[in-house]
Amino acid sequence: MDHSSSLEKILRSVAITLVLVFFLFPIAWIFLMSLQTNETILRIPPSIAFTPIIDNYTALITGQLRTAAGSLQLNFMQNMFNSVLLSVCSVALSLVLGVPAAYAFARFKFRLGEDIAFTLLSFRFAPALLVLLPLSLYFKTLGLTNTYIGLIWVYQLICLPLILWIVRGYFEDISPDIEYAYRIAGNSWWKTFLKISIPLAKPGIAAAGLLAFIFAWNNFVFALILASADKQPVTVGALAFVTASGIQYGQIAAAIIISITPTLALALYAQRYLVEGLSMGAVKG
Amino acid sequence: MSQLAIKSLTKSYGAFKVFDGLNLEADVGEIVVIFGGSGTGKTILLRLIAGVEEPTAGAIEIGGHDVSDIAPEHRGVGMAFQNFALFPHMNASENIATPLRAAGADESKVKAGVAKVAKLLKIDHVLNHSPRELSNGQKQRTALARALAAEPQILLLDDPLRNVDAKLRFEMRLELPRLLRQSGATVLYVTQDYKEAMALADRIAVLANGTFVQTATPEDIYVRPATLGVARLFGDPSINTFDTVIETEGGTHVVLGGTRVPVADGYRGFGGREVIFGVRPEAVEIGSAGVEAEVIAVTPLNERTVLLLQTLNGWEFLASLPSSAASIPDAGSKVRASFAAVGTHIFDRQSGERLHG
Amino acid sequence: MAELDITRVDKIYHSRKGDVHAVKALALVVKPGEIVALLGSSGCGKTSTLRMIAGFEEVSNGAITLGGKPIHTLPPAARGVAMAFEAYSLYPPLTIGENMSFALKSSKLPQAEQERRVTHMAEMLEIADILNKYPSSVSGGQQQRASLGRALVRDAGLYLLDEPMGQLEPQLRAILRGRIKHYLREHNCTTILVTHDQTEANALADRIAVMEGGVLQQYATPAELKARPANLFTGTFIGEPPMNVFTADVSANADRVSFTVEGGTTLSYPASDISDALRGVLAKTPRIALGIRPHALQLGDGPVKGKVMACQWLGDQTHVAVDVAGRTVVSVSQERVSRATGSDVSLNVAARNLHLFDPASGNAIAHGGTLA
Repeated sequence: MDHSSSLEKILRSVAITLVLVFFLFPIAWIFLMSLQTNETILRIPPSIAFTPIIDNYTALITGQLRTAAGSLQLNFMQNMFNSVLLSVCSVALSLVLGVPAAYAFARFKFRLGEDIAFTLLSFRFAPALLVLLPLSLYFKTLGLTNTYIGLIWVYQLICLPLILWIVRGYFEDISPDIEYAYRIAGNSWWKTFLKISIPLAKPGIAAAGLLAFIFAWNNFVFALILASADKQPVTVGALAFVTASGIQYGQIAAAIIISITPTLALALYAQRYLVEGLSMGAVKG
Repeated sequence: MSQLAIKSLTKSYGAFKVFDGLNLEADVGEIVVIFGGSGTGKTILLRLIAGVEEPTAGAIEIGGHDVSDIAPEHRGVGMAFQNFALFPHMNASENIATPLRAAGADESKVKAGVAKVAKLLKIDHVLNHSPRELSNGQKQRTALARALAAEPQILLLDDPLRNVDAKLRFEMRLELPRLLRQSGATVLYVTQDYKEAMALADRIAVLANGTFVQTATPEDIYVRPATLGVARLFGDPSINTFDTVIETEGGTHVVLGGTRVPVADGYRGFGGREVIFGVRPEAVEIGSAGVEAEVIAVTPLNERTVLLLQTLNGWEFLASLPSSAASIPDAGSKVRASFAAVGTHIFDRQSGERLHG
Repeated sequence: MAELDITRVDKIYHSRKGDVHAVKALALVVKPGEIVALLGSSGCGKTSTLRMIAGFEEVSNGAITLGGKPIHTLPPAARGVAMAFEAYSLYPPLTIGENMSFALKSSKLPQAEQERRVTHMAEMLEIADILNKYPSSVSGGQQQRASLGRALVRDAGLYLLDEPMGQLEPQLRAILRGRIKHYLREHNCTTILVTHDQTEANALADRIAVMEGGVLQQYATPAELKARPANLFTGTFIGEPPMNVFTADVSANADRVSFTVEGGTTLSYPASDISDALRGVLAKTPRIALGIRPHALQLGDGPVKGKVMACQWLGDQTHVAVDVAGRTVVSVSQERVSRATGSDVSLNVAARNLHLFDPASGNAIAHGGTLA
């Protein structure tokens, strides 16, 4: 029985609306900007009514930008391709490495196990700038600067800790008896891992993978420092819109909208799994 | 040659020793119950035999062969777990089929095997349910069916009736022995319920303090317990105990509540020994002779009534009378209690071992 | 010490998935100083009832009065009720002793008396040696005893005990039951205990309220529940092992009354064993549900014949399972008997141990030869 009074209900609705406006306003504003020309954007006072144009989007997709000063080549679609490639490959690699490691942390209590696990988690907390300078030197020496492989390798710093910590919780929640039962029934350890442990931890693996994808996609500094224009993802690519002929707000807005679309779509589609994954299977069904 | 043998088995986790030098042999087709309280290591023992954990020392032999180097999937063992451990992402039929598939049987053999064991355990009508849709009783039967499906030589059952409601537990307790004998397997059955142990076992191995304190038939365990500890574990209410001394003047006796209680002449040789006098509640007879006591409380159970009695010098003891007995005294009344010889035991106070009179 | 009156109380839980009617029109009176058990399987409404009496749940309909005063609108602290919870709920930062004396601090008792009570209670419950320990360092059974002790040391008009002995070590249970019963009697405590364990209910309670599906099935003394269950549910719920139930065809005339169960076995009794009134009813009832308790089904010469499926000696009693025309019946003997599996055996039952129920509604028709 909902005991709250009408006043409480009204206050609650007002509070929720304020929170929603606070978070969604910037995105809504940018969406509107992406449909306007630079002149409309910069007009003072700003007007609510305008005729939407899709020139910004066409410019990005075709790679040609017409400005007052002439035509400009834009590499935005290349950036999108890079983002997709880097994120997908990083997540794939981190799953291949991380899921078995998470299983090891969950099942085998070995000396320094907790310490190693915590060290791996700490990579998430450490500011990237801490390691960037040494990394860029290593990369130069190893010839990894501006390579996909180098970036995918570095992105493991972002993806692996997530996979380890979320999936470990899921493996811990699977009763060891279930794995024993499958082995005693006559199956090898490897078959047990494939047919029992992984399927039962699937929600956690999916959630961890999604989160890792989102964080990899959003990464900025690693790609900025360790790669050049042709390998950089959209996060860095947006800088290209600060041109000699002025900041192209319309295109930046359109670029932002295009960049956030994949991750937003994924997150919306899989939000149930994300909530499950973030609570680390704490509540048993 | 025994079907299953445990030789000097030891298991420790770091400094903590679970058990030390366990020995046990089970013949083909025998049902051996491992009985003990919680935390005594019974589940760990089963895991060692199954092979999912490794012993610290000692050997396990199945059919005369040392299986220390053999992985669990090759030991030919079937196991049923306390919380069922059914695979949640497979239905009941698939769960039961697992050992048959692992053995590489073709589809028709798998189907036949599952059907046979499902019929035996009366779950053929829920075969395509997922574990979530099964009642606890059905889950337990499915777990049993899975253990039995490949007709293993050794069956390990870890307290399978623990999480099942009382009514079903009664039913299964009566049915299980027949089912297990039919399978022909050598069975190690773990439980904390002494009635279950006595009902099911050919022999009971009582596990306490890391060792088998007594391994014997249910009759021997109940009528001739090796130690006070064993006597306490079997019987509800538990055996009454009283610290006293064996005296020989004027006939072998002990003094309880200020009254002489005669004991068998065979204890004559233990004159002066500090002992613990034990008498099972069902061996306490209320009548006109014996120790004076007051009835503190009357607690009726189903077919027996338990009286809490107290002697003049404060010794509390329990008597268990059939509820249909001619007269059951009221709370507050004064009665006299005597002790039947069968059901009375004398234990050495230092070692806890039963003395033979 | 006061009378507790529960008048037509309902408890309805509302949720998005629908309403759950946990307690339906419950009416119950607990006399001053009486010990009453609410007995039933999980989900039957007994815990909801207890929580309503304690004040942790609101009463959806009806009233609860204690000593004539309505308490169902009062907050828990103002009801004069002491409660021992199923999940112990001891205060972690206090020692066991401090936990037990906590409630006494707000009473006006002198310090010496408070200490005496706590010590006496601790000795009674065998926890005197852990009074200085903290809840996290003692076992589940010890925590449960401490929780129980905390409730009992208080002076209260009503004591509510929620599954008070479930975690106790089996060896201690019988002695503690006796001591607790003695204590409750001595102090004239009006007590309600909730349990799913009928042995506990039988042992401690003056009267037992058997509940199922939110409905009170029967409210009577343990002896009456055993001898005269109101319906099939109560009859099969009370009693370990459960009552053997058969559907039987009835034939009744002036000389004999016979019950023929599935498989052809006929139990036949002279008319003198059955009251006239009952015989009259039976003449008009072609089918009944016949209940025979395992202890009443005796090994020996008799009309029920079958093969022994299991004979299990449990120390102070023997359980024999017999296959009678395809179904299993259980007979319990107080002595040690031994019958080989597969051997033939006969069983009989006296008319005074028969329980007759209506097969459709489950309501009792007769017990022991006289109308229910």
